Amino acid sequence: MQKTLEVKGMVCPFPLIEAQNAIEDMNSGDVLVVEFDCTQGTESIPTWAAEAGHTVTNFEQLDEAAWTISIQKR
Amino acid sequence: MTYMIITGLLCGALLGFVMQRGRFCLTGGFRDMYIAKNNRMFYALLIAIAVQSVGVFLLIDLGVFEYSAGSLPILSVIIGSFIFGIGIILAGGCATGTWYRAGEGLIGSWIALAGYMLMSTMMKSGVFAPFNQQAQATAVMPTNSIAETFGINHWVIIIPFVAIVGFIVFKQLTKPKVVVPSLKPKRTGLAHILFEKRWHPFVTATLIGVIALIAWPLSAATGRVFGLGITTPSANILQYLTTGDSGFINWGVFLVLGIFAGSFIAAKASKEFRFRMPDVKTGINSFVGGNLMGVGASLAGGCSIGNGLVMTAMMTWQGWIGLVFMILGTWTASYFVFVRPRQKAKAQKLREQVTPA
Repeated sequence: MQKTLEVKGMVCPFPLIEAQNAIEDMNSGDVLVVEFDCTQGTESIPTWAAEAGHTVTNFEQLDEAAWTISIQKR
Repeated sequence: MTYMIITGLLCGALLGFVMQRGRFCLTGGFRDMYIAKNNRMFYALLIAIAVQSVGVFLLIDLGVFEYSAGSLPILSVIIGSFIFGIGIILAGGCATGTWYRAGEGLIGSWIALAGYMLMSTMMKSGVFAPFNQQAQATAVMPTNSIAETFGINHWVIIIPFVAIVGFIVFKQLTKPKVVVPSLKPKRTGLAHILFEKRWHPFVTATLIGVIALIAWPLSAATGRVFGLGITTPSANILQYLTTGDSGFINWGVFLVLGIFAGSFIAAKASKEFRFRMPDVKTGINSFVGGNLMGVGASLAGGCSIGNGLVMTAMMTWQGWIGLVFMILGTWTASYFVFVRPRQKAKAQKLREQVTPA
């Protein structure tokens, strides 16, 4: 299952908090796609994902100050 | 004057560039110590303090400039730093953070900056100046320098401090590494390193320590014997703009304008600049936070840079007491802004599961 979380316009740390909340309700193996535009999220979201043991399957910049990251729940 | 403009802008631009690319956010760092049990950014701050401290005291010992930390209005520092800590959580960034995020195009940071500049000006030369002066004259301790209080040489404090920081860095770097996923590289060479690659927080911190060090002799040459400072220069801009008195223009003014410019250049070149409008709630929080920052930093005699990075490196009570209460302020605000809403939402969900409607 895949779920998309659109948190554009939110400033740090809210994109991260929203992502953490969203992944809690998901099952192992599900993928959470987070679309965000807070620059600091490019550091905090992948760092959290890696430290929590989830797998980042995709992480790229889409446009000027716009990013997407796909996190597969462990 | 030309010297002041060039070195101030240049030093600020370097700082803004490094902070933007290194995602150096003290507010986030203090907050994460509590909500994520993560001390990485705090350790990074300690590195920047250590680098600057060794350098500045060497320059002082060599007689490049003289510095006296003066006295310590302890109550004002404690209360001001705590209020400042609350303010930066609401504003989503400390004073420098707000300047560099403004350069990234975040309108919320422009709003916070407006509140911050207005309130610092009101505290320094406006309607609240008598109150601020009274606070500064209350509960004043005679010595601000920690070494002076104990009657010891400053190196007796700096050397053990540097040793502790070195030990922490060693422990952190030898920890089993978690590979942080990085963006797909689209550039190569220097452009990749400067505008794309993730910077390690400790590398960023070392660079910031060096910039904070360079700031001292550059600023001292213009007659302003201090290092990086944000609050007073931010107020000076508004004071100059509203009075036309060029006496308010100093090295620090060009420093903060440089931070804005440097961050803009870094963000633009990294394709990270875009005007972003906050929602109403974020906008209001930014404005309230900015005002609290102005009150707090004026009372405390410094923000997370002036007290947290510079006065700490000068090994003063003001710096370290200020830093501790600033962190406590961010934790208090974090509880109400992030932790409690989350607990409430969880409790709500549990109730729904127990009693299906």
